[in-house]
Amino acid sequence: MKGNIVIIGGGIAGMEAAKSLISLGYSPIVVESSTKLGGHVASWYKLFPDMSSAKNLVSRLESEIKGATVLCGTKVISLNRLADGYSLKLSNGSVVNASALLIATGFTLFDAKKKEEYGYGVYDRVITNSDLEAWFSEKKDARVPDEPESVGFVHCVGSRDLKACNAQCSKVCCATAIKQAIEIKERFPYAKVYCFYMDLRLFGKKYEDFYINAQRDYGVQFIRGRVSEVGETLDGRLQIKAEDTLSGKPLKVQLDLLVLMSGIVRNQSIGELSAMAGLETDSDGFLRSIDNEYAVIESNRPGIFYAGACTGPKTVPETVAEARSAALAIHSYLETL
Amino acid sequence: MAERFEIGFHPFVIPFLAGMVFVLGVCFIKAVIVVSQLDEGDRKKWFRSLIHPNILIKNLVDIILDCLIHVRLWKRNKVLGFMHSSIAFGWFMIILLGHLQVLIYFPEKLSTCYYPIFFDYFIEGGQYTVISKIMDGFLLLILAGIALAVVKRFWSRLFGMRRTTRPTLYNLIGLYSLWAIFPLRFLAEQCVRSGDLSVPLWWAYSIALCTFMTVLPFGRYLHIPAEMLLITFRNAGVGITQPHKGMARVQADSCPNCGVCIDACPMNADPANLKDSTVYLTRQLRRRNQERIREISDKCLLCGKCTSVCQVGVDGPKLRILSRAAKKYRISPDFSNAGAGITVPSAENKVLYFSGCMTSLTPKIGRSVESVLKKAGIDYEWMDRDGGLCCGRPLYTAGRLKEAAELAARNEKQILESGVRVLLVSCPICYREFRERYNLPGIRVVHYADYFCELMEQGLLRFEKSDTCYVFHDPCELGRGCGIYESPRRLISKAAAIAEAPKNRKESVCCGGSLGSLSLDFSRREKITAASLENLYRSRADAIATACPLCFATFARYSDRPVKDLAQIIDEQTKQI
Amino acid sequence: MTDFGFTLSKSSTLDLQNVDRERFEQLCKLEKGASVCIGCGSCSATCPAGILSGMSVRKVVLAVQRGQDVRSMLQCCMLCGKCTMVCPRGINTRNLILSICSIYG
Repeated sequence: MKGNIVIIGGGIAGMEAAKSLISLGYSPIVVESSTKLGGHVASWYKLFPDMSSAKNLVSRLESEIKGATVLCGTKVISLNRLADGYSLKLSNGSVVNASALLIATGFTLFDAKKKEEYGYGVYDRVITNSDLEAWFSEKKDARVPDEPESVGFVHCVGSRDLKACNAQCSKVCCATAIKQAIEIKERFPYAKVYCFYMDLRLFGKKYEDFYINAQRDYGVQFIRGRVSEVGETLDGRLQIKAEDTLSGKPLKVQLDLLVLMSGIVRNQSIGELSAMAGLETDSDGFLRSIDNEYAVIESNRPGIFYAGACTGPKTVPETVAEARSAALAIHSYLETL
Repeated sequence: MAERFEIGFHPFVIPFLAGMVFVLGVCFIKAVIVVSQLDEGDRKKWFRSLIHPNILIKNLVDIILDCLIHVRLWKRNKVLGFMHSSIAFGWFMIILLGHLQVLIYFPEKLSTCYYPIFFDYFIEGGQYTVISKIMDGFLLLILAGIALAVVKRFWSRLFGMRRTTRPTLYNLIGLYSLWAIFPLRFLAEQCVRSGDLSVPLWWAYSIALCTFMTVLPFGRYLHIPAEMLLITFRNAGVGITQPHKGMARVQADSCPNCGVCIDACPMNADPANLKDSTVYLTRQLRRRNQERIREISDKCLLCGKCTSVCQVGVDGPKLRILSRAAKKYRISPDFSNAGAGITVPSAENKVLYFSGCMTSLTPKIGRSVESVLKKAGIDYEWMDRDGGLCCGRPLYTAGRLKEAAELAARNEKQILESGVRVLLVSCPICYREFRERYNLPGIRVVHYADYFCELMEQGLLRFEKSDTCYVFHDPCELGRGCGIYESPRRLISKAAAIAEAPKNRKESVCCGGSLGSLSLDFSRREKITAASLENLYRSRADAIATACPLCFATFARYSDRPVKDLAQIIDEQTKQI
Repeated sequence: MTDFGFTLSKSSTLDLQNVDRERFEQLCKLEKGASVCIGCGSCSATCPAGILSGMSVRKVVLAVQRGQDVRSMLQCCMLCGKCTMVCPRGINTRNLILSICSIYG
């Protein structure tokens, strides 16, 4: 059993970790609850800031983890501590023993229906960021009009919002909104595009350039004010209310499409796993690392490691970097056994 | 025996007499003060009611049923009901029969007033009449009640009460002296012929009576005389108009500190709020502790559950609203221009739909109401589709009564000008305000639950029943506030399956989102909501239905199963005819 | 003195060091939420009084923080509670408004 590693979660964190572990000479087992690998990234169209294809990333990673055992559509039913590792019972009936576990369960996208005032599921022309990504790839969504005159993006839907029970910043939505605004502008150059934000948090490399591009080259309008209500006019257009806080006036605008930037919330299935494995959760509901500066990938249990958004919202490069360092940490840990 | 009978006096009656004079004097003065504090009109109403035969009979019946037999308590808790009525009714009967006995056998002694109380001593237990046998029976009944009271004092959970009030010193003295009176009387009567012990026991009996009567005006036992006054006030139609005077004072004094409201109060899902139930408000009102009165008043959700379970009918929300109204603010609103930019559509012969402020944050409700109206072919106008004025209830519950009335007047004017005959409301908060505090002559104000029920009966809605099982949460303002319990249930059972939560209707648990509370902030409401949801989950329904935008938004935030507004359910399960 | 053709008027600079914070601190004691406002404007956008009168809870909170007079800014408030419903920071805005009404004067 020594050297047996189970990775829970087959998103980019799990795949990247598997890839690194393969290169270190291990043959990890990847357990993925959905039917395909790639997680949220697999359903994204392009990644910021370089606009590279998300699908290419996922398929490249898939080809690189041929040395791993991949179990899709499989869940962990129970988890027991052994003297020198863990024993996992899987939903396919098998029992796997592992010296080390990597938790890479990622996140859940906030259910925009919970922000009833934004009218997702009520009005026809309100979609979420993930709906829009799906439309970019497949072009099939009756809610997206053929020639929208004006499109709005609402930042921070279900993040930084106590009322949505998520106080944390989702980190990626600001850049995603700008990316999607640019993509909309590329498809509908004559549409007016508005981004409604509380604070713009463009901290990553080249994100600021991205922001400048959107302003200068694409004419995206940034309004500092959180949308508070969405209504519908008699002719079926959306009417939104916000405050233009910079001019200090209430603002209303009619839109043909409203995109809600659903935030990152803790994976809804993480509760069971953390209970089974005795893992601590943090005040924000995500898994708690040993510390949040130096040991983000380490858990309170020996032999269990974290990678990616299971410990909090992460960007793609952060997730990939964590996956690699977790692979290395697992390697060092197994050497000490 | 002859000697005792001849003299007809013993020094041990003095404590009893002193206590009696004291308690009657204090209660009389208190009653005079309270009556003088009433508004001029209310006072006249009260005096007139005292000579009105019908009200007089009602007063008597209510006093017997409520104060002596405790009918309301019986309905709620049989053991507690027995305990209270055995003591109150038993004691009353002993006093009554004791006087009757003296009246029949020694009418000349009746004027001494203590004679019936110490009767057995003076006649040395000589004559066993039928009356004295009945009295012994009542005394045993009281002793059984006292025994229950002792058990309840130390193991209140046996009586189904999770929490009771912590008694004050006066209340403890009153309680123990009350417990002592009857066993002492019993022993004194038993020992009346055995010499030595007899006189000390009669002394102890008299002192216990004196103690009880002396502390009565300062503790919870003031509720005994106060409740009688409260009943006459209520039957005369006297209302609470001042924060701590008149009717408010009588209500505070009538609170028996039983603590039923503590377990009922939804806020007590969080132990931090344990000391803010109505029983503590009345206690602080008696003590005139302004700081605590303010704190308790501001925190309350005004759900009204304490009033619905209260044995004497203390109106907790109203007492609090008036306490809030006592606060002086340095900035006062000015609504002279309010509503100037709003145009209300002319709606003659149509239904005018008023959705209210909150519904614009829960667009599903407004759209569903609209869609059902369309399906039923009702001609309607939506008064505040693009925003309107607040109904004024939030101002009213915050204690800004004058401002609320000003706002109401603005709305009244607009509604009357529209020429409408039926005003349809979807928010129970607005609905209650329209019903209770608006003057809209010739206009029928109706909540959609009632209105859709009528449409259903008229055959204007065609239902298709779904398999989903809903549990209906009675919103405070719709249920306890306006008494609408049946219509929502009839509609749901037509549209889907329905289950009931253990605590429902009058005892429904506030969702915690209420606008009634001024000081409870968001983070301190979560536990209240969790407790309310827990009650609904126990019904094992698949989904939760409610009929209030605030309940809807609050539940949707934390619920692990779908939450729908009643209008939405009706809309989903009806077809165009 | 040379006449430059214009007169010196009072500086319009906000002198942050000398801002009177007393009222704001008083307010924070009555309503702790006052200190966590991020000025997102949700409250003002949803305010039924705001559309007609320009009332803005966000501006009021900011003005109290900056030691300015807010007496004329709250007169149209109907205490309807919509601002409390939408505030992402969970501020009890109704208590905030009532507290401001009680400390200014």
